[in-house]
Amino acid sequence: MEAVRKMRRKNLLIITVLIIAVIVLALVCMFTGSSDMSFSDGLNALFGEGTSAHIRIIRNIRIPRVLAAIIAGAGLSISGLIMQTNLNNAMASPATLGVSNAAVFGANLSIIAFAGGFLSAGSRVENYLTGVNPYSTSLVAFLFSTLSILLILGLCRLKSFSPGVVVLAGIAIGSVWTAATTLLQFYATDTGLSAAVIWNFGDLGRATYKTDIIMALVVGAGLILFIILSWRFNALLSGDSSAKSVGVNVSRLRFFSMLAASLITAVCVSFLGIIGFVGIICPHVAKKLLGKDHRVSIPASAMLGSILLLTADTISRSMGNGSAIPVGAVTSMLGAPFFLAVIFFRKGDRA
Amino acid sequence: MLNIKDLTFRYSRKSPAVLDSLNLSLKDGETGVLLGKNGSGKTTLFKTILGFEKPESGQIEFNGKNLLKMSRRERAEQIAYVPQDIQFGGLTVFDTVLLGRLPYFGLKASKEDEEITMRILNEMGISDLIARNTEELSGGERQKVAIARALVQEPELLVFDEPTGNLDIANEQLILKEIIRVAKEKGVGVLTSLHDLNQALSIGDVFFFMKEGKIRYSGDSSAVTEQVINEIYDADVNIIEHKDRKIIINGGL
Repeated sequence: MEAVRKMRRKNLLIITVLIIAVIVLALVCMFTGSSDMSFSDGLNALFGEGTSAHIRIIRNIRIPRVLAAIIAGAGLSISGLIMQTNLNNAMASPATLGVSNAAVFGANLSIIAFAGGFLSAGSRVENYLTGVNPYSTSLVAFLFSTLSILLILGLCRLKSFSPGVVVLAGIAIGSVWTAATTLLQFYATDTGLSAAVIWNFGDLGRATYKTDIIMALVVGAGLILFIILSWRFNALLSGDSSAKSVGVNVSRLRFFSMLAASLITAVCVSFLGIIGFVGIICPHVAKKLLGKDHRVSIPASAMLGSILLLTADTISRSMGNGSAIPVGAVTSMLGAPFFLAVIFFRKGDRA
Repeated sequence: MLNIKDLTFRYSRKSPAVLDSLNLSLKDGETGVLLGKNGSGKTTLFKTILGFEKPESGQIEFNGKNLLKMSRRERAEQIAYVPQDIQFGGLTVFDTVLLGRLPYFGLKASKEDEEITMRILNEMGISDLIARNTEELSGGERQKVAIARALVQEPELLVFDEPTGNLDIANEQLILKEIIRVAKEKGVGVLTSLHDLNQALSIGDVFFFMKEGKIRYSGDSSAVTEQVINEIYDADVNIIEHKDRKIIINGGL
């Protein structure tokens, strides 16, 4: 029993360190950017002192952005973890059910066909991105990803959610969305096409307080649900028949948890665009650091996701020379070498 | 305790019956051994008893209750299972065994659940392994951990599918002894399949010979005869007696 307690204390310590890291990085991220604001100016502006420009930058631009990084990072990461556990597949990601491909199609449809075709948005790229309502593109993206999720889960229900079938159905349906997107882009005007491509690059700058609140509600609900189900996910680690023999309704667990994970991804991707790799790498690092027990790997994945996205956003804004470079590119550039180091240079294989 | 009547099961409507009007009954605290060739339907029978598969027709009664109508959780409090290919997935030994309490605690393990887990780990002599990762265990240790997890479920019936399948002779003896000890000390019923007929004779109270989805013969060790074995396995064996024990010799070689 003492050995178990010692391990729990160690895990608690690592989680505390991760929480502190999220807070520190959030502050660093908040005070970094293209505006030449000093750290103390930024700190004052946070508390409503200093020039109105500084206060505006911190309150209206930086805070929503930092919150988006924390929330979306956590959301994408826990979705990835839950997909990996459900499908017993280390390569599974939040996008395994074709969610991202469907969101891209929806957004492209909204941008290219609706804004460009019907609403004659003219030749300004910004008009294409916002359309009639700044949230319409996100809404259409979300509708299509939900459609895709329901389609795949509905189909897989016929085969009682056997992991191999789910992965294959995800690949098949995802590629249909990609093909449809290619067709849309082929017929798009130049301006429509560039607007669509820009949307595909994940960008935390699109976040507002409103989108942050919606994402926080969805990610928060998912996080609580997953933590409540952690023992059931633990049971799933030892295979379907063992899980069933300790009373777990395996196909119901798979259906609802994959639905929740995919909805989280759909919301994040619809508001922010594609931010790849967070959902694969962060859960792996969490499992390497703390083992596979979901009681710790869920919160740890969430925080590692926030950490990666905050770091990537800080870098993307310091390198962009005025405008931030796509954060999705930075997550992969930053994540891949670290990921490889974790895989190849850490003792013992718990992946 | 366990009463199976006319149980029929097929994997799809047109495929042949894997279980064909099967009848079996096991009394309280008895150790029953299921014998038969590969593909005779032993694992499928376990799956229907455990509720992984729904039979086409027939009844399974457990302590007077209809097992087929029981919820998963209720069933898990009464029947525990150790599958043929044990898979753990990287939790610690302690958490893996604690998982057996899941039907009781649902969301969060209580102090009592942890105490029961620790007690069983001590009884099985594996309390020094608690902080180890299950992926680092040897074959014998894995089997013990799997049995410990089944025991913390505090079941009335333990179902084993080939418990000695991948073990060396020392671990084989150890695990069989452990199964007998548990069955007798706790008064738990056991239903197990075994390939080795001599192992079967050493632990079984009652024997079920299965062929083509039916129990062809059953009874105590007096039912184990050369003629029955040769018919069930399509094999050529001889039985000799040594110190009141039957020993089965492979005569085909």
